[in-house]
Amino acid sequence: MIFFARKSVQFIVTLFILLAISALPSLIVELKFVPMNYWDALLQQFHQLSQLDEITYYNRTSQQVLPLLPDLAPFIRETLIIFATALIVSTLIALFYAYFFYRSGKLVRNVLQTICQTLEMVPDLFWLVFLQFLALTLNRTNRFARIEIAGGFAEYIRLLPILTLTMTILFFFIKWLTFHVLEQETTPFLELARAKGVRPTSIFWKHLLPNLVYRFYLFFRSNMITILSSLLIVEYLYNVQGLFRFAVINPQMEILLVILFIIYIPIFLLDLVIEWLIPNAWKGGV
Amino acid sequence: MRRVLIRDPIFLIGFVIFTSLLLLSIGNTIFRDGEVAQIMIRYSDEGKLIAVSPLKPSLDQWLGTDRAGNDLFQMMIEGFKWTVGICAVVAFGRMLIGLVVGIPLAFRSDRLNHYFKMVLEGFLILPISLVALMLLYPSFIYADSTMIPPLFKPVTIEILILVLLGLPAVTLYLITEVRQLLKQEFMIVAETLGGSVLHRVRLHMMPHLIPTLVIVFMQQFVQTLMLLIHLSLFGIFFGGTVIIFEGIMPALFEWSSMFGYYFKQFSSTTWMNNHLFLVPAIALAALVFLVNLLTSRVERAFRLRRQEDAVTEVSISQTEAASSSLAGPFTLVHMKGSIEHDKKDKSG
Repeated sequence: MIFFARKSVQFIVTLFILLAISALPSLIVELKFVPMNYWDALLQQFHQLSQLDEITYYNRTSQQVLPLLPDLAPFIRETLIIFATALIVSTLIALFYAYFFYRSGKLVRNVLQTICQTLEMVPDLFWLVFLQFLALTLNRTNRFARIEIAGGFAEYIRLLPILTLTMTILFFFIKWLTFHVLEQETTPFLELARAKGVRPTSIFWKHLLPNLVYRFYLFFRSNMITILSSLLIVEYLYNVQGLFRFAVINPQMEILLVILFIIYIPIFLLDLVIEWLIPNAWKGGV
Repeated sequence: MRRVLIRDPIFLIGFVIFTSLLLLSIGNTIFRDGEVAQIMIRYSDEGKLIAVSPLKPSLDQWLGTDRAGNDLFQMMIEGFKWTVGICAVVAFGRMLIGLVVGIPLAFRSDRLNHYFKMVLEGFLILPISLVALMLLYPSFIYADSTMIPPLFKPVTIEILILVLLGLPAVTLYLITEVRQLLKQEFMIVAETLGGSVLHRVRLHMMPHLIPTLVIVFMQQFVQTLMLLIHLSLFGIFFGGTVIIFEGIMPALFEWSSMFGYYFKQFSSTTWMNNHLFLVPAIALAALVFLVNLLTSRVERAFRLRRQEDAVTEVSISQTEAASSSLAGPFTLVHMKGSIEHDKKDKSG
């Protein structure tokens, strides 16, 4: 009960913080900080909360002002598909990489670590450029034109955005998992499992991994901001008809408020469910 | 840590490249007034017209020229100090304010820290580039070049915004780091012995915090650079964006602005083959890679130092020797040798 009360308070406080953030664009007027303007915008955003269905945007294709909320659904779906797919694929690959790393000898481990350490230094933007370049080269040399390098209105582009985001998240996850697998390897509970003759596969999936799940989730949550920033630039440059690109081409405070809520609420709910479901023992408690 | 870094060839090579570029860039401003050569047309030795700008890379113009005929190599050298300077100032600003806010808060109760964390929760899901775009968009677009204000004002405001937007995450991180340190035995002992907060921070905490701060600084440096690149791709260049007949151009030519500027010019045509786009793209990729590489080497050195400080075979043998020694059980083992040595000296 206390857990839900605490989470509810956190939810309400964060909604107000997001409301305050959404009013920030009014703080600067002609290269001057104008706090009064910000205060007025804050009140306006607050009133907007009760009239969310009245928010409109200018649709460039149909060249008319349309209500925001029903029109936003396909953009949300597109962003969700790219984000969720990239997240699932990168988590699975990272887990299997961690398993392979765990089972490998010293030499293979060194090679894997050096390759991954080098690749994780490459920023997301350059994965994007590289993948577009690769798609173009494939097109030029083999006349293979199945891969879209940019989307458009009613033209969905998914493969390259998912691939780019997967690359960015993957090296994040691999770095964290490799470090923690190495750290956990020498812990007494794994030594005991080894001494009792438990097979390495079983040690990894049944003993080592459950011990890391909660910390892995915390790591993911704290790096959410970087992943969302990557998603923003991926959507913008691939011309994905997604939520973030929509926010960039419609820079209005009311739209920003709605989009921030749309991003935060699912993350909060996911956090609530995970915190509730993960056993206390996995969190390091008794 | 310094000793490890000085002996690390990868760190040294990276550091030398970085410093050389910075010196070249500053030197260009001091000795050449920041001038960039302009070549609109290239002629052959016989005086025949070969090409007009943008010129392809050649022996005369190593990286070619842009449409206005500016030598790209010289532009990259000139812009380097601005890019590095902006990122360094923003990263340092975030860290400094993060420390000033974070250290006093870390010393406060768990409850206060919990509330503070709750308040900042909203910032942790916020794509900074989106909010920065919305903040800067109305004030940083100039209808023509006559409307550009003196650069000091927009630059100061932009730096302030970039610092403040990244501040919550840095502050939360620093609070966690400081609170971790406060749980260490040496900090508990320092508190028990009556050391004031200032004394504990200055004498005991800072030596442990500085390596972390160096790493945080470099991470923030890269994050700021990526943020600048994102903004320039959205058409918001550092210092402002000027609307011109052909589109938009930056008020200040630094690397991230050049990337966005040339990207916009060629994204609809043959941009992948064009040196104009590739030069800043490769340069920025190399810069991010270089700073990430230096960060990883500093992290490695820090890790090695911590391993040295941790339990080693020598320290284990010293502890065992101390526990089994009957004479002077409260004298430190490594002190014994020097005390006995002193005694011999005196008797001698």
